[in-house]
Amino acid sequence: MNSSRNLSGRQVVNPAPLWSVLLAPVALAGFAVAAVTGDAVLAGRATGRRFAVGMAVTPLAEAARLLVAPPRTTVAPDRLLWRLGGAGVAVAAVLAVAVVPLGDRVVVDLDVGVVWFNAMEVVTWAAVWLAGWGPNALFPLVGGYRFVAQGLAYQLPFMLALITAATGAQSLRIADIVAAQRQLWFVVWMPVAFLVYLAGVLAFSFLGPFDYPAARDIAGGVLAETGGVDRLMLLAGRWLLLTAGAAMAVPLFLGGGLGPLLPAWVWSLVKTVAVLAVLVYLRRRLPTIRADRYVELAWVVLIPVAVAQALVPALVVLGRG
Amino acid sequence: MDLIGGLLRLAATRPRVLVVPMPGATAVRVAVEGELRRRGWPTAAVPAEAGVLFVTGGEVPGFAELLDEAERGMIPPACCVRARRPGEAAEALDAARRHLANLDVQRSAARARADARRGGPQDRGAQPAGGSGAPGGQDRPHGEPHQGHGERGAHDPEQGGDQHQPAEDAGHHGHAQHGGTAHGHARPPAQRGGHDGHGMHGMGGMGMPAGLPMARRGEDRDGLRLDRLRLPLGPILADWPAGLLLRLTVQGDVVQRADVETVTGWDGEGGSWWTVPWWRARSGEPVTVGEAVRRRAAAQMDSLGRFLAVAGWADAATTARCLRDDLLAGTPQEVVRRRVGRFAHRVGRSWTLRWLTRGLGRLDADTAAGAGVTGPALRAGGDVTDRYRQWLAEVIEDVAGLDDGSPLDPTSAEGPRGRLDGRRPPSAALVEVLPGLLAGAELAGARLIVASLDPDVDELIPQPVGSAGG
Repeated sequence: MNSSRNLSGRQVVNPAPLWSVLLAPVALAGFAVAAVTGDAVLAGRATGRRFAVGMAVTPLAEAARLLVAPPRTTVAPDRLLWRLGGAGVAVAAVLAVAVVPLGDRVVVDLDVGVVWFNAMEVVTWAAVWLAGWGPNALFPLVGGYRFVAQGLAYQLPFMLALITAATGAQSLRIADIVAAQRQLWFVVWMPVAFLVYLAGVLAFSFLGPFDYPAARDIAGGVLAETGGVDRLMLLAGRWLLLTAGAAMAVPLFLGGGLGPLLPAWVWSLVKTVAVLAVLVYLRRRLPTIRADRYVELAWVVLIPVAVAQALVPALVVLGRG
Repeated sequence: MDLIGGLLRLAATRPRVLVVPMPGATAVRVAVEGELRRRGWPTAAVPAEAGVLFVTGGEVPGFAELLDEAERGMIPPACCVRARRPGEAAEALDAARRHLANLDVQRSAARARADARRGGPQDRGAQPAGGSGAPGGQDRPHGEPHQGHGERGAHDPEQGGDQHQPAEDAGHHGHAQHGGTAHGHARPPAQRGGHDGHGMHGMGGMGMPAGLPMARRGEDRDGLRLDRLRLPLGPILADWPAGLLLRLTVQGDVVQRADVETVTGWDGEGGSWWTVPWWRARSGEPVTVGEAVRRRAAAQMDSLGRFLAVAGWADAATTARCLRDDLLAGTPQEVVRRRVGRFAHRVGRSWTLRWLTRGLGRLDADTAAGAGVTGPALRAGGDVTDRYRQWLAEVIEDVAGLDDGSPLDPTSAEGPRGRLDGRRPPSAALVEVLPGLLAGAELAGARLIVASLDPDVDELIPQPVGSAGG
């Protein structure tokens, strides 16, 4: 056990060359498109039809339509904040993924990578609320507030899950967290944190059972009045956030690029795709979880359990040293 | 402009369709939904995301302006089609696709819009066009009573400047008089007057941003004074009973009051399509029990599909609607029974759905009896959870009797929503209990309660004398 403590993050993950700054958003977008396509295929299969290429084309057709459509407006909107909100979601996702290593390369090797990721995720609070406030219409406003209510529920357990992983590695640097998983992946002895983390990822990208801010019963919520490129940015932002969260799960809990035989970046890709597949599959299996019910569950059940889980690596680390 | 053309053609392969059901056009709506599912076209929840506005049914007097507003709320490339009979659905969708993929039509429509904008009095200033395509990239005003009112900045000169606190701070709702075209009603602002005694706003009581008066305050359940907004739900709203209009008074997203209206004045054939076998039996035609039971099970599946869609479980809703179409298409009993059993097992066993709907919309026995509620809503006797589980149980029971060839007893009159031989239609009782159940519920809860009762407005329209049994 001692040897893994002496192994520093630098031997596992190195900063990537400068051109990777352009590659990271492209890779993120590529994965997001794959996730959206997978989701569309699952939706098509749910209607009982056999798989057809047309199922996968549906999101592209939608994106094409939104690209050629003019933007939409409402009565007396706050246009600047509306646009900021819509764009902010996508920007937060791209910034968040800057600290996620692919294999043994990372775009930015911050000493507080975990905190940076969490901070970018918190930017979505502001972005989604602004996207709900901007249109000056009731349903988007309700959607914006629903996101904040949902945030009250998921944010603390999510942060505890992040802290759990950081405690296990005794560092907030993602490279160190990957290095600390040389012997055993964190998901094995921190399973609760992993599940809470996945739930948090679905929640901050307001997809799946946590699409309460953009739910069908309020006619799309924050998406109810947006059109054109604004709508495309907001829709794309959700999926980019999901992808960024799935990508972050890999170094945090699944050992990053560590694995036998194959090069590190292949393992990273495979694990990211696996987590994305699980998230996309799960998102269709449950009804929309309303924040007023979820808040109760989160505060009464999830937080104590997450705190108990956070004690596990703390005790292990104390026992070691 | 080949890129634009290519994008338009790609977009036209699978446009999003907003299905607007007219009262009295249930059969057409069911046919359209089935056709959309067969083609794999997605459905829209709001005009903002729709490429095709599909109106099912004939003209209804109260609906014309709502349809116009919904059409204006769509962003181009978009088109509007109508189908009056179930058989017309497929060709209407093909026509829509041809129209959307037609570059010349879209270009001339864009030119017309650009000309109208240039010729019109209002100019929205230096707003950059977000979309770069042929349609001209212009902003489309929303809601006809307030054309030409510009940015919120327009009202700043009226105020004192830095003392001005936007009304949104108090309560948390601004001047959102109409919550968007989702419910298709641009009501002229119903309230006048500024704030009630809040000196800090420094507006002299005449703040009217963008020409809209501020919302008035009222007491809420916690003793605070919050803004009250009038929110009309329906009749053009996704997964909403056709022809039903709910005028809600909301504070925050809590419903304070609900007033129910139904769109009447429609002079087609009365009566609900779902109860046709019983009316036919009444008028003397030979109808088998199997037919009636099949239609009733399909009606329950339709209601379940709507309920699950409102609850946010899209896959289960799709399955319910597939099963409804299977039942209506005459699929043999063994096949349907297995599928329905699987579906009912999955939905009935869902702990999440039960946890989410527990305690909502509790309909106690006295209120139900007093209003004359019959059928599954009465038998379930409880909250939303009990009602959807009752639907599941009844569907399973009905599906077991699909092959029953015995003639339907004209005196038995148990339709999908209740007994058909009472002094008034079962949906009338459901509509009557709605306001009581909705008061105090949140918006999400309100939608779930309406979906769990699922009144059928067609039943409220009286049957023509000739076919009614009395």
